[in-house]
Amino acid sequence: MPKITFITHSGEHRAVDAALGTSVMHAAVDNDVPGMVGECGGSAMCATCHCFVDAQAFPALPPVDENEDAMLEGTASERTAESRLGCQLIITEDLEGLIVQLPDNQI
Amino acid sequence: MPAEAQELTAETVDFEEMWRDPYPLFKRLRANNPVAWVPQANHFMVTRFDDIVHVERNQDIFRSLEPRSLVHKVMGHSFMRKDGDAHLAERTIVSPSFSPAAAKKIWAEKFRLIATDLLDQIEGKGKADLFVDYATPMAARCLCEVTGLTNVDWRDIARWSQAMMDAVQNYAGDAEIARLGREASDGIDAAIDEMIGARRTDEDKSLLAMMAAGGMPLDSVRANLKVIIGGGQNEPRDANAGLIWALLSNPDQLAAVRADDALWMRGFEEYVRWISPIGMYPRTVDKPTELGGVMLQPDDRLFLLVGSANRDEAKFEQADRFDLHREKKQHLAFGSGPHFCAGAWVARMQVANIAVPMLFARLKGLALDEDDPVRCGGWAFRGVLNLPVRWDK
Repeated sequence: MPKITFITHSGEHRAVDAALGTSVMHAAVDNDVPGMVGECGGSAMCATCHCFVDAQAFPALPPVDENEDAMLEGTASERTAESRLGCQLIITEDLEGLIVQLPDNQI
Repeated sequence: MPAEAQELTAETVDFEEMWRDPYPLFKRLRANNPVAWVPQANHFMVTRFDDIVHVERNQDIFRSLEPRSLVHKVMGHSFMRKDGDAHLAERTIVSPSFSPAAAKKIWAEKFRLIATDLLDQIEGKGKADLFVDYATPMAARCLCEVTGLTNVDWRDIARWSQAMMDAVQNYAGDAEIARLGREASDGIDAAIDEMIGARRTDEDKSLLAMMAAGGMPLDSVRANLKVIIGGGQNEPRDANAGLIWALLSNPDQLAAVRADDALWMRGFEEYVRWISPIGMYPRTVDKPTELGGVMLQPDDRLFLLVGSANRDEAKFEQADRFDLHREKKQHLAFGSGPHFCAGAWVARMQVANIAVPMLFARLKGLALDEDDPVRCGGWAFRGVLNLPVRWDK
């Protein structure tokens, strides 16, 4: 299982083993990482799994599609060029070492 | 029926009292019988926040599909009662109409024009029932735009929505309520038939346009639009009128909102937590499981009482108070899991960004009419029933 590291808004580092085929959102929620909510359970409908990832450092990440782009308009914390929905980032072997920054607010 | 072996404390519920004020019962059930077997209703009542979240996170154990339900009979087989990929496929088709981007870029401007027109009509009167004269037409006219049923008079949308809502709660089998529900369903089918083949521009992001472009089967179009009309009329109406009432009843909080625009949305989220317009939705057990210490069997039916979960003292301090300054937290007014309310973003835009702030900006000296008190009712669906107010002409 790839190891991914969440950095909470307060600066806490949490490394978790993420199950292949699940999502970055699930990896956080299943491991009780604070700062990830995931109200809609991964349907890309609630925008409460907002996170920041460095796409250049991880070219294996899927691009932002039209639906994710539209949902990112609803994030509680301001959207940046690194904004993603954690539920749309499916865990693959290529994401070993992924660093995911969490926003100050999801709601 | 529940398994014979376990000892259940069956609850006898006074549904009329529950309609008037369900919160004392909810409090007692959360404390003493959080997954309560209610033989009268042939359902378990699930009242705690964490138990409802557990149900919604485990859709392989608890399903939405329930052909025995009145919703299914009145509206047809909508995506609200489908699971897994069947649900997702239809949900994906409508999401471009419902996203936060659509709310901002497509609907906000149209909604502002509607609110302006409604306020133009009432401003000179100095008094009104805002439930009737503002919240109801606001929701219905917005819904005509979002659905694409611009061929329908908003009064018909409002009436049909109420008729279907009454019919899906018609547990006593009243013939006239059932007839009105069928009449509403037929009216919506006819309106869809008239509009589904209409020529559309690329700018048309209405639900009908998305459904036609996505090749959704006509049976699904009909059932889904009925669910959307049911949820898209009464719920934003109740959030709109309810939030106005809550603010007028709490002048200190109203003053805070007037001083900080960001608080309108906090007020909206707090109102739907405090008196959730949809207080209950059902699920059915699909596999043997345990919930809150109670063993459940396949086909056992659950009422998920989010109106109770949103007042769960384990989750919210002083949960019975409307307090828009409370700590930001997840609530369940829009549900959770894959069936999270599709219309949440459009409702937030309509009510919190447009209807309520515009009303308070336009009507000076707005106050509740003390001669005619506001009444609330309902438990599956709950909200104010009237909202008489006065203002300076």
